[in-house]
Amino acid sequence: MTVTKARCLILACGNTLRSDDGVGPWLASWAEKQFCGDARVRVLSSQQWTLELVEEVARAESVLFIDCSADSEPGGVRLVPVEAKADMQGVATHHLGASELITVGRELYGSLPRAALLLTVGAASMELGEEFSAAVKGALPDACRQIEETVTRFLAGAAPPEAP
Amino acid sequence: MSQTITIDPVTRLEGHGKITIYLDEKGEVENAQFHVTQVRGFEKFCEGRPFYEMPSLTARICGICPVSHLLASAKACEAIMSVRIPYTAAQLRRMLNLAQMVQSHALSFFHLSSPDLLLGMESDPVKRNIFGVAAARPDLGLAGIGLRRFGQHIIELLGTKRIHTGWVVPGGVTEPLSSAHRDEILAMLPEAYANLGKALTAYKQIADTFKPEIEVFANFPTNYLGLINEDESIEFNDGALRLIDPKGAIIEDGITATRFTEVIGEAVENYSYTKFVYYKPLGYPEGSYRVGPLARLNIVKSMGTPKADKELAEFKQISAGPVESSFHYHHARLVEAMYGIEKIEQILNDPQILDKHVRATAGVNRLEGAGQIEAPRGTLNHHYKVDENGKITWASLVVATGHNNNAMNRGVLQAARRYVKDGKFSEGALNRVEAVIRTFDPCLSCSTHAFGQMPLAMTLMSADGKVVDLVVR
Repeated sequence: MTVTKARCLILACGNTLRSDDGVGPWLASWAEKQFCGDARVRVLSSQQWTLELVEEVARAESVLFIDCSADSEPGGVRLVPVEAKADMQGVATHHLGASELITVGRELYGSLPRAALLLTVGAASMELGEEFSAAVKGALPDACRQIEETVTRFLAGAAPPEAP
Repeated sequence: MSQTITIDPVTRLEGHGKITIYLDEKGEVENAQFHVTQVRGFEKFCEGRPFYEMPSLTARICGICPVSHLLASAKACEAIMSVRIPYTAAQLRRMLNLAQMVQSHALSFFHLSSPDLLLGMESDPVKRNIFGVAAARPDLGLAGIGLRRFGQHIIELLGTKRIHTGWVVPGGVTEPLSSAHRDEILAMLPEAYANLGKALTAYKQIADTFKPEIEVFANFPTNYLGLINEDESIEFNDGALRLIDPKGAIIEDGITATRFTEVIGEAVENYSYTKFVYYKPLGYPEGSYRVGPLARLNIVKSMGTPKADKELAEFKQISAGPVESSFHYHHARLVEAMYGIEKIEQILNDPQILDKHVRATAGVNRLEGAGQIEAPRGTLNHHYKVDENGKITWASLVVATGHNNNAMNRGVLQAARRYVKDGKFSEGALNRVEAVIRTFDPCLSCSTHAFGQMPLAMTLMSADGKVVDLVVR
């Protein structure tokens, strides 16, 4: 399998059957339509981030990870830099976080994306269901705006934004 | 004073289980039990659903081998419909099953077992994982990831997604293979062969260093069950089951999916939610047997593809009769993965593989149907009864881990007797007892994922219930 080298990789995760946990796949779907036709942008979405995605991340020039957050305030949209860890201790095989993905990529492929950011949306509910909470529904326009701005910056080769 | 040691949960398995080791008054191992602690209930809550929903419903049992349930279920549904699926659909399903087998075997060998094999049973548990392997042997780490991705990507190309595809339906598949996807898979083959070659070379280099483990990793005579073709070559989708005895003689041949429940029974033990499957004419537990890669290679005379046949000949050099130690499951998986890649190549070069006729349709023509296939871990049988409207009134699913349950328990006891001494539990002993289970690669319903950390705890308890030792990692 040939891994497509993306100038900007958007990598989302979440479970669409777990209410707000599905916000990552929803935003990935939005991004796919938004950047449709732009070969520089590659959008991937999965329930979990696993080892098989490491090469995609390592080969990309810049990566925007998208996930929901159980720790943030419901509906809060955050954009934070992602940095590689010092080593791979404690990394699990069933699921990886954004930082772990780029760490394993560095160890296995010897390369890191030039820029990596994680956009999260605070979840209010992760119970069984296919509807977002009111808080997450209200956050979608802001999340989409931040994705668009980030991708534009990535493609322009600008430095990643400072963490808020 | 008798004591109990519990390993809870057992790590690097698909699902969650625990091991209890009972010590006698001298501190020697008296008994051991492998518990599967999850209840799923699929057979019960499928009742009342339309039969054609069963493939998608039962695929949710597992996130590693959903394809196995899809295929066994679809075959059971087709028995109810009394249809024979189009040739091309059968070939595409065969490719799907083999792709899953390759990715599952890659997961078992590289991600779950290679840390023991390449870093050592006694190595630092913090580093004894796929990432430790990647640091020590980056070539093999990359090969493992590559081989798993090969299988997953084929599943994705055929079924539009890697997990829980809806592509397999009663009567065939929903979409034919496109020429673009065929060419894409063909282009992936050289890398897959190369990655598997690295694994075979590495395994053969280190296998001899595990003689002590080979001696006690479920190393005893058993019967073996698996699908086989009429020409005695390996089979994963069709054919019929053959059961052989510990010396390799045929006990019964030609067990079709419909006859399965006539000859195969399920016993219950009070310490596990997984049943203990056995051959009825021999009774329980005498009729217990093993399934999966080791059993399949013990049963067949050939693989039917050149590279895998060469590997099979080498594998059969291990023993004059059936290969007994479950440690050799690791080797058997690699031989099967070679077969899988070769067979996928053959199927892709079949001139009819792009045929558009890939689905037969029918309603309810029988009130009962059964289907069986070989999952990566062993034989899988689905058996349903329906009412005249096609609603499920009864369902039975017999999975590989149930077939192997008795052998896994005996294997844990055998290894514990070797490695647990004087009531003490060293890290190496703990890992070896777990590693016996890992050789079988049991799937304990991996779609139930844990949230957060999964520590491994060993508790040594005295007969009066006091904890005298506790190890957590």
